[in-house]
Parts: sequence; structure tokens; C-alpha cells
Amino acid sequence: MDIEQNQAELIDNFVKQASAQKGTALGSVILEATSHPSLFAFSEILAVPTVAELEGTENSVYLKVLQLFAHGTWSDYRSNCSSLPQLVPDQVLKLKQLTVLTLAETNKVLPYDELMMELDVMNVRELEDFLINECMYAGIVRGKLDQLRRCFEIQFAAGRDLRPGQLGSMIQTLSNWLGTSDNLLVSIQEKIKWADTMSELDKKHRKEVEARVEEVKKSVSVKLQTVSRPKLSSEGSRISTLNLVE
Amino acid sequence: MASSSSSGLTFKLHPLVIVNISDHYTRVKSQLNPPPLTSTSATVNGVENQQQAPRVYGCVIGVQRGRTVEIFNSFELLYDPSTHSLDRPFLKKKQELYKKVFPHFYILGWYSTGSDAQESDMHIHRALMDINESPLYVLLNPAINPTQKDLPVTIYESELHVIDGIPQLIFVRSSYTIETVEAERISVDHVAHLKPSDGGSAATQLAAHLTGIHSAIKMLNSRIRVLHHYLVGMQKGDIPCENSLLRQVSSLLRRLPAIESEKFQDDFLMEYNDTLLITYLAMFTNCSSTMNELVDKFNTAYDRHSRRGGRTAFI
Repeated sequence: MDIEQNQAELIDNFVKQASAQKGTALGSVILEATSHPSLFAFSEILAVPTVAELEGTENSVYLKVLQLFAHGTWSDYRSNCSSLPQLVPDQVLKLKQLTVLTLAETNKVLPYDELMMELDVMNVRELEDFLINECMYAGIVRGKLDQLRRCFEIQFAAGRDLRPGQLGSMIQTLSNWLGTSDNLLVSIQEKIKWADTMSELDKKHRKEVEARVEEVKKSVSVKLQTVSRPKLSSEGSRISTLNLVE
Repeated sequence: MASSSSSGLTFKLHPLVIVNISDHYTRVKSQLNPPPLTSTSATVNGVENQQQAPRVYGCVIGVQRGRTVEIFNSFELLYDPSTHSLDRPFLKKKQELYKKVFPHFYILGWYSTGSDAQESDMHIHRALMDINESPLYVLLNPAINPTQKDLPVTIYESELHVIDGIPQLIFVRSSYTIETVEAERISVDHVAHLKPSDGGSAATQLAAHLTGIHSAIKMLNSRIRVLHHYLVGMQKGDIPCENSLLRQVSSLLRRLPAIESEKFQDDFLMEYNDTLLITYLAMFTNCSSTMNELVDKFNTAYDRHSRRGGRTAFI
């Protein structure tokens, strides 16, 4: 969440710059925005009317670059290399970071092979360096690198700009979450009731048993008194007292 | 007594002070009325108790930084009913001792217990005005009211109001916030989770534990519902899209499901099975020992070999 705070100022800045200029000058603003090391959110800039006007003009490449950075990945760039202008190294780095964020959207565990393919990196060492230096230290991703199983477990990844269709799926996920937690609450309440009823039953049972024991004791003591046994051996009286005491 | 303060000071109260005051009151009260021995004397004492709720007095100390007054600690004082004032030499001595340990703390005021501030309290208040020109009066209401949701603690300040042409000092209530240090938070949390000592039966412990979990999940549920409404509103267009929030929500949703790997399932099921097995084993042991006792008793009752007669009916 602090990423959003860090970006808020930058976003305001760039939006102001973008709305102040037009046409070709916007190109340089977009270039600056996409190479800035701490800026990962571009949908606000995309929403500025002067930027939207670039569509269809000869500067529409800049718009396409901005859209690529907002929603696309490194492989998108490579496949459309011809229609897009050359990217400076800063932009390349940023696009790769954004690629990692996109991959994190689908899986929580990313295998090294997939990452190496997406990011165009040849060996594990370079990949890990990239992940550690560019992604984790920048704060956009938090996770664990598992070298034995060659995968990257992601615990937290910053959000990318939303594609228009993603809002629907987010709402779906949220409603599923709500449904699950509602069910859980209901089942917890049932368990609590069950525990209470079981303890009630147990107490009743105990009381019943004790009441019966009391009855039996009384009846036995009555019997002993009424039944006169002149030849009660000492053992017998000891045993009968034992029984009563039990 | 007026009901709102206009001095503009913000008060921060630490839970330690509240615990101290209630502890002082409880001690004095229980020392004054020892627990009754028989039920008849209980009713007599009960009637007396209602009338004799003792008032305890003490001093509160803390720090004042600018417009913020933070009350950290408190100590007890003796009240001299004959002179209607607090014990001054004792106060001075305590003040020096506390100064040595906490050099930054000043005497900010005094506390007492009761349901409302009274006229006689003004005397004490005025007496303290030579230490602090505007002392605070912290009042704790020891009556237990299960329907009340707020803390029964009020902080009063003194203000000079003109009433009937005569400027008089009266108490005005001020609002305060509770401020905790980590140690205080832990102890308050601990006290809040105290279970009654005879609630040792497994069912009540289980019910209490489950109730805790239930309330925690309910809170989470309500927060997620708020997010859900917000997103639905955004989709319908009632609320303007705010991208930064959307990004944060999407990163949050990506943390679900929290744990799903196969290894977790295996470990979880193993631990579950272990617990069940141990419970089963304990039940077995219990049953077999009860059986053993039963057999012993039976043998003792119906022992044929050694003696004749002396056989009583043991049901």
C-alpha cells in the first residue's frame, strides 16, 4: 500500500504535465513517465483527454507504448516490435518488472523456467539478481525464492492497471470470498451450539447418575437397618460399609 | 456543572491509570467489608454495602506537550476527612520519589471514584491548584452497568464561569482518547481474555474460543462486504473509478487463496489424524481403567471364595 502512496505524487505530477501539453510534446512526457523508476501505474495518465486524442494521429505510437506499459508484457513488446518505437533501457527494465507483476496475477508459484522465458533471461543467476534487485527491493513484490524446486513463491505483488474486463472478475472473487466466510460463520455458530448442547447433556447425565447413586445408597442403608442379621461376620460388615462408602 | 470544555486541550489517557484507580477502589472496598460468613449476615452486609461505597483519592501524573495532555500513571493518596483535603506531606514525598524515576512526569491532577462530581471535590481541586494551575479531575464510576458501552471514566477540568454575577470555578467535562503503549496493550488483551477459573470444562473453553474466532471473522466479513459494495458501485458507474484503489484491491485479491499447495494438505491432514488418534487412545485408556475399577468392585462385592455370609446386595 505504500507503493500507492509513493506513486500518488508522481501520478499527479505527470497528469498535470500531460494535460498541459499536446501532440509531440506528449511523447517526451510519456517517455519520462515510463522510464521513471518508481512509477508503475499508468491508467491515470491514459485517462487524460489530451493523451486519448493521440489515437489515430501520427503520434499514436506513444499512446500504444503507454497502453503497452499499462496492460502488456515483455512478450507483447517482442511480438509487436515493429510497430512500436525502440525502448530505452530504463523502459525495458520497467516493462520486465511489470511482466513479473502480470505473471503474479495468475499464479502464486512461478517456476523459474517460465520466468526465464517471459523475461528473456538465460541463466538462473541473472534471473534471481533481477528478481531480488529490481522487484523485491523496489517493493513491488514480496516472496520467497526456492532454488531447489526452481520456483518463486509470491506472497504479495503490487497491482497493475486494470483492464476493463477485470473489474467483473474481481467482483466475482469478492462475492465468492463473502460467501465462503458467511458459510464459515454459520458453521462456527453451529459448532458453538453443539458444544453447548453436549455440555448440557453431559451435566444432565451426571446429575441423573448421582441421583440414582443417592437413591441406591438410601435404599441399601434402609435395607441394612431393617434386615436383622444376627450372624453378620466382621468381614461382612466391613464389606457392607465399603459398599456404602463407594 | 457545564457539559463541554472550551480550553481546547486534548487529553490522552493510558489504561494503566484506569487499572490503578479500579485496583485501589477494589482493595479499599474489600478491606472495608470482609466477605460475609453466613447467608443472613450477607444480606445485612449487602444492604450496608450499598450505602458505604468508599471513595478513594489519588494523584495522576503525566506529560503536557503543547495542547496535548497525556496521563501516564497515577498513585494513591490519603484523604483526611477532618480537613477535607489530601495529605500534603505524603503527596510531596511521593512526588519527589516519582520525579526521581520519571523526571519528565508532572502532577497533572487528581482522581477519585463516584458517580458524579460533587461540590466538596472543588475544595480538593482548589488545593491542588498551587501545584498545577489547572489540574484535572479524573472520575471513575465503579458501578457495574452491563448495558453501558463506554468506559465509566470522565475527565473534568475547572473553568471560571460567571454565575449569578459571581465568577465561580466549576467542573466542565472534557473528552479524551485512550492511548496505549505496547506493554499496556498486551496486558489489557490478556485481562480481556480471562476465562472464569471454574470454566474448566472443555465445552465452555471450546465455546469461548470459537466465539472469539467467530467475531474476528465477522469483522473481516463486514470489511470485505464494504469493498464489494464499492466495486459493484464502481461497475455500475455510481462512483467514479479510482485507479489506485482498484490496484490495491486487485493486489489484495491476488493473495487468495492463502495456502493451497499439496504439501499443506498433507501436513494438515496428518496433524488432524494425529490429534484424533491421540484422543482415541486417551478414551481407550479411560475406558479400560473404568472397566478395571468396575471389575474390582464387582469382585469385592460378590467374592465367593473366601467368606460366607456378609454378602449384601450391591446394585
